Amino acid sequence: MTQFNVLLKKEWRENFRNYKVFWIPIVFILFGIIEPVTNYFMPQILDSVGNLPDGAVIEIPPPEPEEILVAVMGQYQLIGILVLVLAYMGSVAGERKNGTATLLYVRPLSYRSYFLSKWILASAVGMLSVWSGLLAAYYYTFLLFERVDFTKFLKFGATYSLWILLIVSLVLLMSAVLPNAGLAAAGSLLLIFVFQLIDGLLGTYWTVSPLKIPGYAAQWLLDGPKPEDFWWTAGIGILLIFAMILAGIRSSKANASKTKV
Amino acid sequence: MDQTTLVLLLLPIIAIQLGLMIFTLVDLVKNPNPNGPKWLWAILIVFVNILGPILYLVIGRRNY
Repeated sequence: MTQFNVLLKKEWRENFRNYKVFWIPIVFILFGIIEPVTNYFMPQILDSVGNLPDGAVIEIPPPEPEEILVAVMGQYQLIGILVLVLAYMGSVAGERKNGTATLLYVRPLSYRSYFLSKWILASAVGMLSVWSGLLAAYYYTFLLFERVDFTKFLKFGATYSLWILLIVSLVLLMSAVLPNAGLAAAGSLLLIFVFQLIDGLLGTYWTVSPLKIPGYAAQWLLDGPKPEDFWWTAGIGILLIFAMILAGIRSSKANASKTKV
Repeated sequence: MDQTTLVLLLLPIIAIQLGLMIFTLVDLVKNPNPNGPKWLWAILIVFVNILGPILYLVIGRRNY
């Protein structure tokens, strides 16, 4: 347990010193604010850049507040995931490259604490970012448009958090399996986007798949997904997270025997 | 839409962007060994909105 605390402290210090604890949430907050504001100014923006003939009238119905929160989630699906993947691609792979890993491997190291400490810190930063970003978006939507039911918002945020945890676990697993940080990032992004594409194309044939978590999160803002489908999906998502953590622990152990001094 | 509300609305966005930019620039100046030429990073950070500072923090600092 003491070893775990030490490793956790090391991870915290690393995340603090390379400023990940600050800038990742700030990027999420920025995108959370920009989305409602651009939606609010959409008529003026179209006016100034639209290059429309004189007298053209476009009637844009004001967007529903729920739609804006879903749009913010859409931003996170692309840029948020990219930021998280790039920030944590080197968690294990980078340490192997710069030698920190070798320093750790020569000690009687519990690989469970080693991997879990990384996972906990990365997930904590991910959660902090998503929640502060979504809350900023919620607040701005409330100011500029209407109030979204807060319970619905909480359900939406909680479901989306599960998806972010899934992403973080995948990145850490890839970082432990693949030999360098670039490959880890490429691998996880490829997996995420290819599977999302498959699910988007053929997903109508099944209702339970961890890739539908963001979709179900968005549905919480409207009528809510079918409880049965949702709970099966969430359950599979949680199992997948556990499986990826276990696999990550195993492959960081395997890395130790492959290290060259 | 009067001018003050507009400014108040955009203020947090501008503050965050400027803050991120200045913070990243200070870090770049202090960084003895960035990944790539310093002047190029400076241009990227100042002129590429949001993405420039992010890219520097992720790739330029060599902290992975």
